[in-house]
Amino acid sequence: MRVLVTDDSRVMRQIVIRTLRQAGYDWDVTEAPDGAAGLEVVRQEDPDLVLSDWNMPEMTGIEFLRAMRAEGIETPFGFVTSEGSAEMREQAEAEGALFLIAKPFTADTFRDTIDPFLA
Amino acid sequence: MSSAIDISAFHGTDPVLAIAEEVFTAMIDGEPGLVRPWTGDVPPLADEMHAWVDVHGPFPGRVLVSTEAGTAQDLARALLGMGADEAVSDEDLVDALGEVANVVGGNVKALVADPHALGLPVVDRARPATRPEDLLHSLPLDWRGRLVEVGLWTLP
Repeated sequence: MRVLVTDDSRVMRQIVIRTLRQAGYDWDVTEAPDGAAGLEVVRQEDPDLVLSDWNMPEMTGIEFLRAMRAEGIETPFGFVTSEGSAEMREQAEAEGALFLIAKPFTADTFRDTIDPFLA
Repeated sequence: MSSAIDISAFHGTDPVLAIAEEVFTAMIDGEPGLVRPWTGDVPPLADEMHAWVDVHGPFPGRVLVSTEAGTAQDLARALLGMGADEAVSDEDLVDALGEVANVVGGNVKALVADPHALGLPVVDRARPATRPEDLLHSLPLDWRGRLVEVGLWTLP
């Protein structure tokens, strides 16, 4: 399993990667600092899952998701973001995201949210 | 934000404290109970660092996290899972304190009715210019004996 972690904060990318390990996901991880860089990684490496922040410079997470889908890239996509309002969750779902994990999160949050999509 | 968040409406509980406790427990300490409201006089910060995010919308506001540089270094070490004697780069120091403000700010924004948008975090050694009358809520926290202040401000 290969996952792309996209967040403009290196610290937050490290926390997401650590939490994935704590949740028991021993996956190969690629990192990207914004949506535009993430899109390049998706095009070139075709990961199995994208975890992305929402609020980023260059290209936001929702723009990243839209760009992927516009190119016909259907890679499963989930948000890990500091905002989890009902409006954002609706928007994420409408654009085709599988889930939205709001920060702060724990390994249990990751397992409870991601496990249902791994069957 | 002044008329969008009424702290007194939370019946004696401080929603910002609840947010801070959750952020520190989940992201920084890995266990509860290490952050609590500061008791007694709040000392002035020395060698201070500030991180803030702005909330844009009908009630614009700012969530400001202030602490001392040494405390910010320990926050960065905790966030990154580093040892107590490991050196923290300036880049990680700024990134870490900014993320604390970002996550607290994102959760504070959730207390405000949509539509509002969260800006990107800003970190500086200088306190951002604010007018005293714009202070909406101040929460001095004791994290492992060190002062971390969280302030909510309205923006003109």
